[in-house]
Order: sequence, then C-alpha cells, then structure tokens
Amino acid sequence: MTKKSQGANEDQVKEPKRKIVPLKSQKEAKEVKSSKKEEDLLLDSGTDSDYDGCSLSGSLNSDDFDSEDDFDSHRETQDDSGHEGSDEVIDSENGEEEDGSDDEGSEQREVAEESDSSEDEVAPRNTVGDVPLEWYKDEKHIGYDITGKKITKKEKQDKLDSFLATMDDSKNWRKVYDEYNDEEVELTKEESKLIRRMLKGEAPHADFDPYAPYVDWFKWDDAIHPLSSAPEPKRRFIPSKWEAKKVVKLVRAIRKGLIKFDKPEEEPNVYLLWGDDSASDQKSKHLTYIPPPKLKLPGHEESYNPSLEYIPSEEEKASYELMYEEDRPKFIPKRFTSLRSIPAYENALKESFDRCLDLYLCPRVRKKRINIDPESLKPKLPSRKDLRPYPNSCYLEYKGHTGPVTSISTECSGQWIASGSTDGSVRIWEVETGRCLKVWQFDEAVKCVAWNPLPDFPILAVAMGVDLFFLNTELGTDEEQQRIEELLRLDNLPELDEAAAAIAKWLPDEKYRGIKIRHFKNLSYIDWHPRGDYLSAVMPGGETRGVVIHQLSAHSTKRLPIKMRGLPVCTLFHPNHRGLFIIATKKYVRVYNLHKNGEPIKKLETGLREISSMAIHPGGDNLVVGSKEGKMCWFDMDLSSKPYKILKNHPKDITNVGFHRSYPLFASCSEDSTAYVFHGKVYSDLNENPLIVPLEILRGHSSKGGVLDCKFHPRQPWLFTAGGDSVIKLYCH
Amino acid sequence: MNGEGEDASKVIHVKFLTKLDSPFKVPVTSVVIPSSVTRLGLSSIVNSLLTLEKPEAFDFLIDGELIRMSLEQFLLAKGISAERTLEIEYIRAVAPRKEEKPSLHDDWVSAVDGSSPRFVLTGCYDGLGRIWSSPGSCTHILEGHTGAISSIAFANSEGAEGVTVATASKDRTLRLFKVDTAESGDSTTRVGAYKILRGHKASVASVAAQKYGSKVCSGSWDCTINVWDSNESTSELSVPGKKRKGNNQAEEPQLEGEAETTLVGHTQCVSSVVWPEHDVIYSCSWDHSVRRWDVETGKDSLNLYSGKALNTVDVGGEGSALVAAGGSDPILRVWDPRKPGTSAPVFQFASHSSWISACKWHKSSWFHLLSASYDGKIMLWDLRTAWPLSIIETHKDKVLCADWWKGDSVVSGGADSNLRISSGISIS
Repeated sequence: MTKKSQGANEDQVKEPKRKIVPLKSQKEAKEVKSSKKEEDLLLDSGTDSDYDGCSLSGSLNSDDFDSEDDFDSHRETQDDSGHEGSDEVIDSENGEEEDGSDDEGSEQREVAEESDSSEDEVAPRNTVGDVPLEWYKDEKHIGYDITGKKITKKEKQDKLDSFLATMDDSKNWRKVYDEYNDEEVELTKEESKLIRRMLKGEAPHADFDPYAPYVDWFKWDDAIHPLSSAPEPKRRFIPSKWEAKKVVKLVRAIRKGLIKFDKPEEEPNVYLLWGDDSASDQKSKHLTYIPPPKLKLPGHEESYNPSLEYIPSEEEKASYELMYEEDRPKFIPKRFTSLRSIPAYENALKESFDRCLDLYLCPRVRKKRINIDPESLKPKLPSRKDLRPYPNSCYLEYKGHTGPVTSISTECSGQWIASGSTDGSVRIWEVETGRCLKVWQFDEAVKCVAWNPLPDFPILAVAMGVDLFFLNTELGTDEEQQRIEELLRLDNLPELDEAAAAIAKWLPDEKYRGIKIRHFKNLSYIDWHPRGDYLSAVMPGGETRGVVIHQLSAHSTKRLPIKMRGLPVCTLFHPNHRGLFIIATKKYVRVYNLHKNGEPIKKLETGLREISSMAIHPGGDNLVVGSKEGKMCWFDMDLSSKPYKILKNHPKDITNVGFHRSYPLFASCSEDSTAYVFHGKVYSDLNENPLIVPLEILRGHSSKGGVLDCKFHPRQPWLFTAGGDSVIKLYCH
Repeated sequence: MNGEGEDASKVIHVKFLTKLDSPFKVPVTSVVIPSSVTRLGLSSIVNSLLTLEKPEAFDFLIDGELIRMSLEQFLLAKGISAERTLEIEYIRAVAPRKEEKPSLHDDWVSAVDGSSPRFVLTGCYDGLGRIWSSPGSCTHILEGHTGAISSIAFANSEGAEGVTVATASKDRTLRLFKVDTAESGDSTTRVGAYKILRGHKASVASVAAQKYGSKVCSGSWDCTINVWDSNESTSELSVPGKKRKGNNQAEEPQLEGEAETTLVGHTQCVSSVVWPEHDVIYSCSWDHSVRRWDVETGKDSLNLYSGKALNTVDVGGEGSALVAAGGSDPILRVWDPRKPGTSAPVFQFASHSSWISACKWHKSSWFHLLSASYDGKIMLWDLRTAWPLSIIETHKDKVLCADWWKGDSVVSGGADSNLRISSGISIS
C-alpha cells in the first residue's frame, strides 16, 4: 500500500463525521418534501464544499476534471449505505434527538426508574397491563394487584377542595396524577431536573457528557487492513470543476475591477489625549533626548463641581490670604452648578506662557538616582555572641592615685599591674582584689611605666621627665631577687662613647635602690624588647637622636644607626623577628632591621594627621596605629603599605591601642572617655584577610579626663583602662 | 480573717505544718487566707496564730519549694490547684538575727575559717594569722609570714590540748602553727610557725587540709597544687631559718618541708583548693576550670569548664557531691558531677553585682550555701529557690572571705579590715 492510498483511507474514515449533517438534512428534506430551490442550492453547496475538501486532499490528477458525475453519485449512495450504522451511533452521542432514539431513551429511563423505586413503594400495583384505562372508567376498582385482589379507586375529592389544596401546597407543581395506579406521584428534585434537561433537549443524565473526547475505535497503530476496501474515488485525484469555475469568476471580477484589494487606510479617530508627546521620532533625533516634565494631571478638586470636602472653608480662604504668595495654593476649588456657568480661567494665558518658558529656558538634566538598601552595604560580620569572650562589664576598680593615671602595665603572669600617674606615684596593684601593694613616690609626673616581659625578672621601668628608672618590685623568689639586686647595682659602668654619653647618663638611684638614666631630653615612651634585656626610649625633642636603646645587662646605651626623619612618637620591637624595630613618626611608620645596621625595610603610609600610639599583633604581621584625630588604621604589613582598614570610632584623640596576647582582641582608648574593644582575627591562611569586628564600647570613666591607657590582661580576656579620673578599671568578660 | 477572705478575689484553704518544736508550733487546723498574700503576709499570719511575745520571721515551703512570690502566682506557676486544702510547711527564716561586735584588724582580712566551733581563724594582709575564740577576743596571733596571708585553714582542730593551723601567704610559703588552746589568758599570745613549707614559685593562693590526716594541700599562682605533710616528726631536716635574706628572725629552729606530690594540670593560677574526702582534692583556677584530683595517682578525674576565671570552689550539698564555684562574674554556679553527659551547671545564682570571692556550703544542710562578693554583700542561698534567702550587708567594702561558723553563724572578712559575725541563723 502506498502512502497516498493510506492517506486516502484515513480520509475515508474521517469522512462520516463530517458528512453527517448534510446527509441527514438531505434525508429530512426528502421526508418533509419541501422542494424549495434555495434549500436545494444550500444542500448542493454543502455537499460541494465537502467535496472540495476531499478533492483538496487528493487533487493530484487534474486531467479527469469533468467526467465523473455518475461515479460521484454512485459513490454517494454507497457511502450512505455503508455508514448508516455509524451515523446513528454518533447521533445518539451528539445528543441530537431523533424520534427513534428518543423513544428508546425514554423506555430505558422508565426501566431504570422502576428498578430504583420498586423497593420503597408499598402500595399495591395495578396488574391490568397495557389495556385502555377507560375500560375501568365506570368500575369501582382500577384493576387487580399481584394476588388478584381488586384495587379500589380512591374517593375523588371535591374539585374545589382539591384546587384549594393545590393552591396551598407549594410543591404542587411537582405532583403528577398517575391514572394507571390511581395515585398522585410527587416528583423528586432529581426527577424534575431530569425532565427539565429533557425539555431543553439535553441528555437526561447530568453525568452524561455529550462532548466527550472522541475515541477513535477504528484506528490503531498496528492496523494492517483498511476499514473499507473500497477503491479511492476518482474525484479525489482531480481538481474540482466547481472550484475552477469559481476561480474563473473571481479572476474575471478582479479584472473588471469589481474586487479591490488595497483598501484606503482609515485614520484612527481617537488618540491618547494625555499620552507622551515625545514620540519615537523625537527620541531618535537626539542622542540624549530628555522628555519635558509632565504637567500634573487634573484631579477631582479641579472638577467644575467637586465634592464638598475639596471646597475650602471661609477660614481657610482667609488663612490663604495671610500666606506668602509662593506658599499660597495655586488653585482654589470652586463649585458651579453646570459647565455652562464656568467663567474663563483668568490665569490661562499666564500659565501657558510660564509653561513655555519652563520648557525652553530650563535645561533638563537627567538625574541619576540609585536605590540601594543601606543595610545591604554593610559588611556581613559575625554576631558578637559568637565572638565571646571579650571584656564588657566593669567589676573591679583600682583606686588610690590622686592624679590622672597616664600609663599602666601588666605583669606577664597577670597577677599584678603597675600604674603611673601625674601625681608622681607609681603603684603596683593586685589584680585579683584591687589592693595596692606598693607605692613609689617621685617628684615628677610619670609618663610611662613598663613591666619587664620576662616572668622571672620582675623589674619595672618608669619614665618621667628626662629620667628613666629601673625599679625592683621585690615580687620574685629569693634567687630572682638576688639576681635583680646584682643587676641593679652600678659598680662598673662601661665607658660609653661620647655620642651616647651626651644622650644618656646611668646613675644609681639611692632612694629606691634602682637605676636612674638621665636623658638630654624629655622622655615620652619606653618599650621593652620581648627578651627583657633591651629597652627603647623615645624623646620627641631629640630630633635625629630621638630614639635610644638601653641594654640593662651591660648598663649601656646605644644610638640607633638610623637616620631619623620626623619626630618619633613611639617604637616597637617586633615580637617574633628579633632584629626588626618599628618606629612611628607623626605621619609614617617605618620598619628597620637593627641586625643589618639599621637597614630600612618598610614604610607604612598611614594617611593620618598625627600618630599617637601603635601596637603590633603577636603574630607580627599586623599593626594597629591610633591617631590624634580619632582614627585607627589596621595595617597588614605583608599586604601593602597602605592601611587595610581605617576605623573611625572615636570623636577625640586616641590615646592608646593594644592587642591581646592570646585572644583575638584589640582595643583602643580615647580622650572621649571610652574604650572600644574589637575582634581582630588574623588567619594563618595568607589569602584570607583579617576579620575585624567591633565588639563593645566600654564606658564608665568620668568624662573629664578621658581614658589615657588601656592594656589587656595577659591571660584573661580582660581589659584594664586607666582614666583621667585617677581610677583604673578592669573590664571582665 | 474570714472577713478579709471575703474581700479578696480568691481565698485558699491552707494548713500550716512544721517540724519546729513547741513554741513555734501552730494547731493543725485549716485556715482560710486570701490568695494574694506573700511570704510576709504568711509570716504575719503564723505569728498571729502563735501569739509569740517577739515576732519571728518564717519561710514557707510548698512541695519543697520556697515561696518567693504571692501565693496566687506561685500556685499558678506550679500548676497546683487552689481548690484543695494546701499544706504549707514553715521553717524559721534563714536570716541572721544578731550582729556580733566587729573585730577590727590592722589590714584587710583576706581569709577566714570557721570549721571549728571553738575558734575562728582569720588571715590578714599584714601577714599575721589570728585565732578568735569569740567575737572581739583574739587569743592567738600567728606570726612569721613576710607577705599577706591569702588563706588559712585548720589542719587539725580535734586535738584536746592544741590545734594545728596552716596558713598560705603571698610570700610563696605556707606555715604550720601549733596552738596550745589550754592556756587561757587575757592577753593574746604570739605563736611562731613550727614548720615552713617552701616549694611554690609564686604566691600561694589557697590552702586546705585533709580531714582526718596529716596532709595539707595548697594551690598557687605557679599553676600547681602541692601536697605537703604537716607532721612534725617526719620532717627530714631542721635548718635554722637563715636562707632568706634580710629576714633575721631565726630565733628558734624551724622545720622546713618539701612538697610530697605536685599536681600539675592547671594552666593558670590555682585560686582555691578544697579537700573534702580522704584522697580527693577539688581545685578551681583562673583557667576557667574546676578539677577533681585523685591524690594517690596525682591525676585529675574530673574537669568542669565554666568559661570564667574562678576564685573559689566548695563541695557539699546533697551527698557532698555538688560543686559550687564563683569567680570573675556575679554568678554563683553549682554543678552536679554525678549527672552524666553534661557539664552545664545545675544551678546558677545571679544576684550579686560583682565578682564572687567566697562560697561555702553549710556543713549539715543539703540546701544552704553562702556566697560573698566584692559588692560588699554576703548572700545566703537555698537550692530550692532562685532568690537569696537573706543578704548580709554589714561590710562597707569588698568581702574577701566568708565561712559558716557553728552551724548558725556567718563569719566574714573584708577590705574594711573587719571580721564580722552574723549569728542566729536557724537552719533546720
């Protein structure tokens, strides 16, 4: 079987569906025997169009155009007979009620009803059968029940009574008199619905779907044989004669000019009144076309008859008069009874003139507005709760000084702290209880105290004025005390070279049995080397000789082999790399290698106005610099010479910054009487930047003197702050 | 009373029960009271029932819990029906009824021990230990230390003719004193140490003695706990005290002892030790942990982590197993080490406002403990309620040490250089 014939077969199968209506109407037409020509024509055209479709599907042979009338009619009859049955099936499916099928349906329904209602009905059923009921018209019974007994007629009600009863009963319309059984039947809702549906011509059952999707029972994938073995009609292969005639007609009409294709385009008689004037053509002319600002659309208040709430009262109108002219509302709503009574708008000319001025005199600028949620700009920081412990509350105070406490220093075990004050006293406190253990009284204000970092060498270095004192705290064991006493005895001073001698002189201190080093300028800062033997001293007034290093074991002083630039502020020994020495001047921080004769290694550009303090992370790669303008810079020295982060927290000078030895904490204290605690974690992974999270603002010192120094407890996450109110506070976690 | 009950929105039928003896016993009859009364109201009701000549404060328990709010709220919180007759047990309120005369010291009182009913021991920042037989009467002064005494304890308080006292000091030594209690004079006698225990490399922070033995243990700032022998006879050498420089007080030969065992494990200052059982030592440290040590093996068998530096630890309570510790925050924590799987504290008392310097369990009660704090307050606690039973505010400065004495008194010393005794605390 060729493809073509297959296609034809498919057509055949589909055909009946399409043909039904015309065929049936043909039948009906015959039955009714209405021989009107128009109808005939209609029918003809109907069949014709049908044929057209067929011929289109198989119009390959155009040769046999006009020789197939007989064949056609013959085929037609064949088709009719062949598809009679299928017609009916489809009819019933479609719900088009023809006579026969309707009868069948109603019968079926009765049967169904009987089977449904037989169980509940108790009344004796008449068994007379299908006989004319008028036979029993005059009898007293209507028939016989199943046992053969007579079923007597019910007594007839008076017509009036029954009429009244029907009028009273709201359900009367549902009641039907059953003559056969002599009883009144009340139709149920379902039954009445059923009837209603039947009256409408729908399928009686509600669940019956007349438009169910078509299931093609006659086609399946593996079908080998065609349903009909009839040969393909010839008309399928030849072009339609009627079509050709129609085409010729149309062609003639076109040639004569009766049919025109291009209709004149109609102008749209409505347009968008308030739409954008700047059409696309204007936009395309300029590269940066800015449309003029739109006028405000009129609202309800500009109606000729606005609602009462828009109308200003007399008082309001009077208050408008008092206002400046610019502030006065431009339009005062008024009410008019009709559109006719509206006067001309007095400002119309002026306003349109103003508008024109606006349009061509005001340059238009495109404003860029960025809508960003400010929250999204914040960096994602971990919660403070996860970063515990950190100091947050003050439980202990160390009171005893009479002047502002300028400097504090913690002993490396964390048992004691030392403090120096402007009242000239240096005190040692017990951290645990807040008891003052020892007091040294001097004549000058103490500038800086520093506890020796070695645990078995409890010596305190104190700087004041031009003097630097080494004090024996007498806190070590007996052997340690012996060593310290030997060390602090100035028996054989080595000969200092002249330059160094000009800077500092080593003298014994009689009063407290320590050592006094007298410098040529005032000291501002001292710092111990982590090994506890060297001590750097800073003299801001010393210019190029501003930083010296003392060696305690040799009782000697050395000048730095460095050419100083700028005034030194503070110094640091690198915690890990022994030879590295960090000097902060007012603007820059420089790193030198003392082992290599003071070779400069790095210069950090802080960008600050005046550096006040500096602290180094115990890891050695990160540096925090505090400034007198309240800014704090975190430098990652491996990363760059520019600050990694600048923290602007304090409104006043930062007095000191500090790192915790073991916890990832750092703090800054300021003259605004607060200390800030930060989480500053440095990762061993070099790719990861340090994490800095502000944790806590420690308040508590009185506002007059600020916080002058802060130091972390060496082992606990606690912070000591020294205040200008002469109190030292301990903040615990 | 009935009239009052009518006024209130709700009334409750209650029955007052007690284990107290006759003067404090009320007839066991049901009483109708308004449900809005608090502890004070209940106490006044019981007082009016008792008709005592001197009013007495009572505390009330319902199903073993102390009432610290109005009765209505309490019933609501505990889900107890107000319909049935409520049985309320009352006890005499745990609060000091008498304040003894303060005993003035020359310096801060840093240590106190009240484990012997006969004496109170105090250690002072002037380096002297003192023995007080009664408030205000110091019988002995223990001298010899060159630094402040940080802790003091009875090493043997049972002896008929004398007691042994151990002191720990910030001069890195411990000293043992024998005190003859038989001699009784008006004047105070000064006693020197019969034995000096050297070995700690830093200040000794705490000392505790074995209960029925001759050993003493001490915790120090050098992160170790040393166990010493306090016996006189077993001391190996007697050296005249000339080793220390600038200390020429070696009139009598003194024994010097060395540590028998050193318990190493803490990483920071061991701030407090207690020795509750024969070979078990509890210690707390600034490294945030409480440890239990087995003296025989020298190993720690328990390690409780608190998160804060700890100043004081004590063991007591139910079965002498609960561990109470306080430190660098205002919270007193109680652990139950018998509880498996958890190291979280079972009780937390947070009414102080500063560091806790001392906590002690009552010797005979399972529920009562005291805590002293730098905020100048001593608080008495009952495990059955989260509020302090009573707050003793006699000190004007930090309270550095506190202990129970004779079962019904609290002795405490502080930075106001006074030893204060609050007595008349009735603990049933």
